Amino acid sequence: MTATTTGRRRRRRLPDWTRPWLLLSPALFVVLVLFTGGLVLGFMQSLNYMPIIGKNDFNFDAYVEIFNDRVFWMSLRLSLYIAFVSTAISIVLAVACALLIHHTARGRRVTTFIFQFNLPIPHIVGAVAMLFLLAQGGLLSRISFALGLTDSPGDFYPMTNDRGAIGIIAEYVWKETVFIGVVVLAALARGVGDYEDLARTLGASRWRRFWHVILPLITPAIVSTSVIVFAFGFGAFEVPFLLGQPFPAALPVLAYRNFADVDLNARSEAMAIAMVIAVITAVAVFVYTWLSRRYVRSES
Amino acid sequence: MPKGNRTLRVGVASVLSLSLAAAVAAPVGADGHIPSWEEVLAEAEGQTVNMHMWSGADNINTYMDGWVTDAAAELGITFNRVPGDAPDIVNKVLGEKQAGKDDGGSVDMIWINGENFRTAKQADLLLCDWAESLPNRQYIQETAGINTDFGTPVDGCESPWGGAQFVFVYDEAKVPEPPSSMTELLEWIEANPGQFTYSAPPDFTGSVFVRHVLYHANGGYEDLLGPFDQERFDAAAEKTWEILNGIEPSLWRGGETYPQTKEELDNLYSNGEISMTMTYGPTEVGPLVDNGVYPETTKMFVFDHGTIGNTHFVTIPYNANSQAGALAVANILISPEAQLVRAQPDSWSADPIIDPALTEFEAEFAEVPLHPSVLSAAERSVNANPELVADYVTETEKGWTENVLQR
Repeated sequence: MTATTTGRRRRRRLPDWTRPWLLLSPALFVVLVLFTGGLVLGFMQSLNYMPIIGKNDFNFDAYVEIFNDRVFWMSLRLSLYIAFVSTAISIVLAVACALLIHHTARGRRVTTFIFQFNLPIPHIVGAVAMLFLLAQGGLLSRISFALGLTDSPGDFYPMTNDRGAIGIIAEYVWKETVFIGVVVLAALARGVGDYEDLARTLGASRWRRFWHVILPLITPAIVSTSVIVFAFGFGAFEVPFLLGQPFPAALPVLAYRNFADVDLNARSEAMAIAMVIAVITAVAVFVYTWLSRRYVRSES
Repeated sequence: MPKGNRTLRVGVASVLSLSLAAAVAAPVGADGHIPSWEEVLAEAEGQTVNMHMWSGADNINTYMDGWVTDAAAELGITFNRVPGDAPDIVNKVLGEKQAGKDDGGSVDMIWINGENFRTAKQADLLLCDWAESLPNRQYIQETAGINTDFGTPVDGCESPWGGAQFVFVYDEAKVPEPPSSMTELLEWIEANPGQFTYSAPPDFTGSVFVRHVLYHANGGYEDLLGPFDQERFDAAAEKTWEILNGIEPSLWRGGETYPQTKEELDNLYSNGEISMTMTYGPTEVGPLVDNGVYPETTKMFVFDHGTIGNTHFVTIPYNANSQAGALAVANILISPEAQLVRAQPDSWSADPIIDPALTEFEAEFAEVPLHPSVLSAAERSVNANPELVADYVTETEKGWTENVLQR
């Protein structure tokens, strides 16, 4: 320790524990005021408190209203379905791609670059691309028409604005596979190779090496990214808005419709739906925290 | 482990007291002085006017970003078009009012009418008593369609900008004999499965289509005029849902889904997936055919028993940052020059809201060529049907969602 730092330390008046808080204060300010502030205001409106249209009492009418509406439950089910299915497919594809790239001896850098190519592309652009590609008037439909497989656009299997939400899931998988894959690749690069070689010298088969060596090592990466992917797929608005059906609509789209309703009373319901989305997303994050703690503990 | 490497937890319980009504500024003109037009123009110079408007048509955007922007620049005003849908824009102003932002608002002008105007006026979001004082107002004939907007009194809170009739657009190559009444249209839909659909209300265009069905189911619009009547509405609405659910299996995709916007509906038509589309802006069809978006065999029709027409307006929020500039632009929009340029087929191709006979350009207006795909204003206005009060519109949209879409 040099003399100058010792001197500086002596001059300091604030106790040690304040330092991280001070350093974090700009970020905390943004989180507290913009995020928590928005959450608190939204929560107040969800309790029917909107002085601007003469509603000054707090009550749970909006929650009673949405919980008694089958439309809400259909939207909730659709959003959970979209989030679960797209996350599950993304994980499987991401792990497969990451392993393939990891084991590529030649041209790995190029392959990784191509694999990561869509990371900076916004979801909304991906959604429009899916529309051009998958819609009944889209590229695939035109190709199948040119090949004589279909006679009219209507013959092509509907994959956008469809019941199975294929277009929405395809967009999420297209984007999130790479996101999970990149993190898994990073985890693989951190010395998994040594353990794998060790297991191989001990005679473990390829399948056993995957289940008992690789998978446990990349599980933290999979869990943390998939929780983010799940929460995003559950709460994001633009992709189901563009690629979804008007009914049933994903939960964020339903919330937006109520928010944009010319009847200002529908705003409370919009906010109540938004609160439900926030709670479910928060639960997902807590489950993740709990899982990862448990996992870390069992590892050590 | 170093000290302080703890996870920071943000307590949601931390109380935030945001005083909403903190900033209250003095209202414009509080000193009781009514400014002259020269004073308005003097104040407008150097201002930037952000006009928030539906921007789903290229030719309209080109007109606004070109001719209108240049005309505003001549007065020293920077005109800026901001795309958006009227309900979102009204929500934005409402949000600003809730946050106590009573001046310096981000929206200076809105393209608006109908239920959005009613909502904005109800929530006191608009500047009023100005529209009739615009110098170029002298070119507009005072009619009922200009002083009430879907049943809501205008009270000078918005300035008329254009008028439009709802028309059906079809491909002559696929529909040699277009229907001439709602009855014939419904028969045609059932005889040609998959060739027709409409955008899901509350989309503006889909909503007006459903109102045509409502008029048909009610045996005419006459007894629906005047204030909202729940009993009359319920009786007509029940028949309307029956008709619309009846044609559902014959719609595009078997009625399993609906396009959510007019743009999606138009895309289906330009892709050849359906044989008909519809619009509240008939003159926009000419440029679409010329640009190759729509097939050359595109034509339009209205029913013999008439079609719904309305007026659209521009308005200024009460908290607009550049109120003087917005007034100046509102005046530009109804100038004879602006309306004449806008009427040209290679521009917006819109019918004038001003009366050409009151201007010095009567001959020029008469010479504006009509696109072969477009019906003339006179043909479109035969037996014109009015819009009902805004409550009928919102009730129809809500009822359609519950009884047709979510059925």
